[in-house]
Amino acid sequence: MNLAELQRYFASAATSGSGPLSELDRVFSSTEQLSASDRLGIYNRGYFYRLLDALSSVFGQTKRELGEAEFERLGLGYIARHPSEHPAVERFGRSFAEYLRGIDAPTVSVDLAKLEWARLCALVAPNPSRVATADAIDPSRFPRARLRFVPSLHWLELDPRALSAFAGVDPATTALSCRVAVWRNRHVVLHQSLHDAEAEALFSAVEGATLSHVCAVFDSGSPAEDIRRAFQVLSGWFSRHWLESVTYDRA
Amino acid sequence: MHRAAAPKQALSELPSARPAPAQARVGFGLRVPHYDEILSDGLRADFAEAISENFLSRGGRAFSVLERVRAEMPVALHGVSLSIGGMDPLSESYLAELATLATRIAACSVSDHLCFGTFGGHYAHDLWPLPYTEEALSHVVERVQRVQDRLGRRLLLENVSSYVEYRASTLTEWEFVGEVVTRADAGLLLDLNNVFVSAKNHEFSPLTYLRALPKERVQQIHLAGHSDAGSYLFDDHGSPVSAEVWRLYEESLQLFGVVPTIVEWDEQLPELSVLEAEADRARTLSNAHLAKRHEALR
Repeated sequence: MNLAELQRYFASAATSGSGPLSELDRVFSSTEQLSASDRLGIYNRGYFYRLLDALSSVFGQTKRELGEAEFERLGLGYIARHPSEHPAVERFGRSFAEYLRGIDAPTVSVDLAKLEWARLCALVAPNPSRVATADAIDPSRFPRARLRFVPSLHWLELDPRALSAFAGVDPATTALSCRVAVWRNRHVVLHQSLHDAEAEALFSAVEGATLSHVCAVFDSGSPAEDIRRAFQVLSGWFSRHWLESVTYDRA
Repeated sequence: MHRAAAPKQALSELPSARPAPAQARVGFGLRVPHYDEILSDGLRADFAEAISENFLSRGGRAFSVLERVRAEMPVALHGVSLSIGGMDPLSESYLAELATLATRIAACSVSDHLCFGTFGGHYAHDLWPLPYTEEALSHVVERVQRVQDRLGRRLLLENVSSYVEYRASTLTEWEFVGEVVTRADAGLLLDLNNVFVSAKNHEFSPLTYLRALPKERVQQIHLAGHSDAGSYLFDDHGSPVSAEVWRLYEESLQLFGVVPTIVEWDEQLPELSVLEAEADRARTLSNAHLAKRHEALR
């Protein structure tokens, strides 16, 4: 066998989920103490152990929800279907939620996995170049302002039961879905469900709309109430450190 | 944080021999369970090791730890996913990120393992041993040279511990390791625990291994613990450095002189103070060796 063939053979043996390959003794040396099969078994166990461990460290709450044995069974299935594609092992679970959905795992578990993955993405996101404070808003140019958000901010749509499961509390709502923002404030990852109007405003702002368009979602027919609501939401974004900068279109 | 860009220098201009140090430089790896303590109290070491893959994303607590440590001491970047012996193409995006990181923190060294860890475009996240053949030798040397050209600096390669031997091997491990670093003009990161583990698992003498290495290429040393699995030794980095490996360290001081040394601990991590004590022991041995040498030169 040449180098490429030897590496392919080794990789097959080390990643096989169905026992040792044939001809191991032809490729690898054995000793009285340890056969070639035993020796390859060390790598085989190491491969699955390391990747399962990587999944466990990212999807701790999903594991608790599924139970250890079921998590391991599903994790092994995931490893077989989705070998790692990233040099950092912590990124191995990128498609885990998708995989769980594909095999019809319970919705709560799928959405818990989505939430935990989003939290990891927030954890490792680049630092913002700076964090804007509310005084970055110039009231005279407010309608022409556009917001730039910090790199760690993510949002997703989840079954609310996933949020309850994450927190280890009973579900507080019977709604079918909720929109959730996930972000990192300095070193701490946080998440929070958003009211519909705030979520719409956020999506609009992230898409690059000016604040005059963003605040249109708060139109309730009562200008005073609309301004109060818009102010409350925008203040919340600043206080949660979601904003990197504010820019203004020319008049 | 010191952000001076590493000057791009032709490899031929870089010294291949390590200058004799005036004092020992000993440190240990930055690991997640210690981050809070490091952020609040800093690190008591001469230099630190950062696993390259853990710091590629330029954000969050990990990066704050790196910046905090880098403000106080040099940092050695140590990778696990380069797959220098693999058949998959070298990842250009990975190398680009690594080069950026190395420049950003002015890394005192950049290293990875002499092994393969990719297959069919996937990462094993393990350090799989290579067959020690002329074909593997040429393959690795060519890739090391490409990496060094890309990074604009010498790469340090670490010998890995292993549990298998290929029947196709025509060279001993020490011949292979020595030839790779010499032909590629690379440095050797000598992991003494790995030498000891492999020596037990494959029934060779660790001293034969050490004595055969090209002395001037040994530019960093790793110390770590292993466990005894009965029929083999397992390189788990989950315990103190064993007495036998400390003896090899003393032997290495005789053979290679005082070399920058990192104590690694990855499983069942103890308090930072335990790692500091291990590093202190290496520093004491190194400084005692230096003192003896100075005495002999008088």
